[in-house]
Amino acid sequence: MILLDIFITGLISGSTYALLAIGFSIIFGAARIVNLAHTAFYMVASYCIYLVSTKMGIHPGWGMIMAVILVTLLGTIAYQIVINPIREHHGAVLIATIALAMAFQEIMTLIFKSSYLSVPALIKGFVPILGVKVFYQQILTFGAAFVVMGGLWILLMETRAGLAIRATAQDREVANLMGINESRIAMLATAISVGLAGFAGAIVVPLTVINPRMWEHPLIMMMAVVVLGGLGSLKGSFVGAYILGFAESLVVFLIPAGAFLKGSVALSIMILVLLIRPDGLFGVSFEEER
Amino acid sequence: MLLDVTNLTVSYDKAVLLNNISMHVDEGELVSMVGPNGAGKSTLLRTISGLVAWEKEITRRSTQGDIIIKGSVIFNGERMDQIPANEIVKKGLIHCPERRRPFREMTVLDNLMAGAYLMKDKIQTQENLDQVYQLFPVLHGRSKQISGTLSGGEQQMLAVGRALMSTPKLLCIDEPSTGLAPMMRDEVFKKIMEIKKLGITILLVEQEVKMVFTMTTRNYVLSSGKIIAEGTGDQLLQDEIIRKTYLGL
Ligand SMILES: Nc1ncnc2c1ncn2[C@@H]1O[C@H](COP(=O)(O)OP(=O)(O)OP(=O)(O)O)[C@@H](O)[C@H]1O
Ligand SMILES: [Mg+2]
Repeated sequence: MILLDIFITGLISGSTYALLAIGFSIIFGAARIVNLAHTAFYMVASYCIYLVSTKMGIHPGWGMIMAVILVTLLGTIAYQIVINPIREHHGAVLIATIALAMAFQEIMTLIFKSSYLSVPALIKGFVPILGVKVFYQQILTFGAAFVVMGGLWILLMETRAGLAIRATAQDREVANLMGINESRIAMLATAISVGLAGFAGAIVVPLTVINPRMWEHPLIMMMAVVVLGGLGSLKGSFVGAYILGFAESLVVFLIPAGAFLKGSVALSIMILVLLIRPDGLFGVSFEEER
Repeated sequence: MLLDVTNLTVSYDKAVLLNNISMHVDEGELVSMVGPNGAGKSTLLRTISGLVAWEKEITRRSTQGDIIIKGSVIFNGERMDQIPANEIVKKGLIHCPERRRPFREMTVLDNLMAGAYLMKDKIQTQENLDQVYQLFPVLHGRSKQISGTLSGGEQQMLAVGRALMSTPKLLCIDEPSTGLAPMMRDEVFKKIMEIKKLGITILLVEQEVKMVFTMTTRNYVLSSGKIIAEGTGDQLLQDEIIRKTYLGL
C-alpha cells in the first residue's frame, strides 16, 4: 500500500514543517524578525538529544525535555545578544541570523564531526496497518506535534499573553497604545518560537538522521510553507505545511529517484505561489506603521 | 490643567512637523484641534501618546532617520514625554488613532479586552465592558465577529470602545468621522457627546469643523505645525480670515 506510506510520511513531515513554520511565523509576526536560524535551533535540539541519550545513556525522553529547555534558553540568549540590538534593521537581521545558523553548524561539526548520527525510538515496534508498517514512534511524533499545536492554540487564543502576542503581530503601534510592552512580547514570542523549533527537533529526531547540515532542507521547506500559507498567518503555516509535506512525500515515493527532487518541490511551489497568488493562501495584511 | 503641552517642537529629519506648540485641556472639557490636511494634528496626538518617541527610538535603531522632540507634555501633573508609549495608558491618557485601526483579525471582544490589557481589576473591566456595550449596542451583538469584517462606522465605534476599556481620564480621538456616511458621522458625534457626559475629558481632532464647533468648549486651529488661533466655535467663525483661510468655510 504505497498510498498509505505516502500518507504517513506526508503526515509526519507535514507536522514537522507545521511546527517549524508556526514558530517562524510567530517570531515574524510579533517581533518582525525573519529568523533564518530557526531550523538551526531544531538541529541543536537534535544533537542535544543525541548527546543525552546516546553518549550519557539517559533515556531519550529526558533528552527531549532537556533539549527543549536548552534550545529555548539558547534562543533567548542569542536573541538578547545578537538580534535585539539590530531588530529594527531588517537587512542586518537576515545576515545575523544566517550567520548564527552557520555558527551552530560549525560548532556541531567541531564537536560531533560531520558524520550521520541517530537516536533510538522512544517506543520500539510497529503496528501493521493494511500491510504497511506504522511505527509507534511515527504515531508518537504525530500525536505530540498535534498536542503541542493545540496547546499553542490555547495559549494564543485564551490567555492574556496570547492576546498581547496577537495584538502586537497585527499592529505594533496600537499594541503600544494599549499598554502592551512590545519589546517584552518580542522576547516572549522568540522564546515560544525557538521552543517550538526545539520541540520539532525533539520529536522527529528518532525518525531522521542527525547531521550538521540537517537545518538546510527544513529551512527551505519552511520558507516555502510560509510563502504558500501567507506570511504571518498561523493558519496558513499549518495548512501549507501539510500541503507541502504531502507533496514532498508524493514526489519521493512516486517519482524514480524522487528523493533528490525534494528541494525542488518546495522551490517550485514557492515560485508558483508567488506568480499566482503572492499573498499566499491566507495572506495577512499587516497594518503599516503610520 | 489635565493636559499641558508647552513649546513642543517635533521634526523628522529636517522637516518641522510641529513648531513650538503650546496648548492645554482642562478637566471636563471637549477641546477640538482642527486644521487643513498635513497640518500636524495627528503628529500632535502621536507625540502626546508617546508614539513619536517610540518611532524615534525605532528609527534611531534602524539608522533610518532622525526625529527630534523638544518641549514638554504634562498630563495630570506628570511628564509624559519621559515615559515609554506603553506606560502612558496607565496614567489615564488614551489615544484612539487615525483610521480606527482595530486589530482586524481579532474578534470584537478580543479587541475590547486588548483595550483593557493593563486593567488589574476584573470587576472594573467587566463594568467598562458593560458600559461600552451600553454605549455601542452594535458591538454587543457582534462581540464574536472578526473586527475586520465590521463596517467603517462599527469599526470606529470599536476603536472608541477599545479606548474606553482602559478607564481613561483623557481620550484623544483622531478624525473619527472620516470616511463615514453622514448618518453614521452624526451618530459618532452623538456618542462622543455621551462620552463627555460620562465625565471623560476629550481632545478631538477633526475635519468636520462646523459640526464639531457646536459641541466643543474650546478649539485650536493648527496649520503647518503652528497653532494659529484658539477660541470657542463662535469666536473662530467670526474671524473672516481664519474661517476662509484655515477652515475653508
Ligand atoms: N514619518 C514622517 N516623516 C516625515 N514627514 C511626515 C511623517 N509623517 C507625517 N509627515 C508629514 O508631517 C505633516 C503633518 O502630518 P500629520 O499626519 O500630523 O497631519 P494631519 O494634520 O494629521 O493631516 P490629516 O488631516 O491629513 O490627517 C505632513 O506634511 C506629513 O506629510
Ligand atoms: Mg491626521
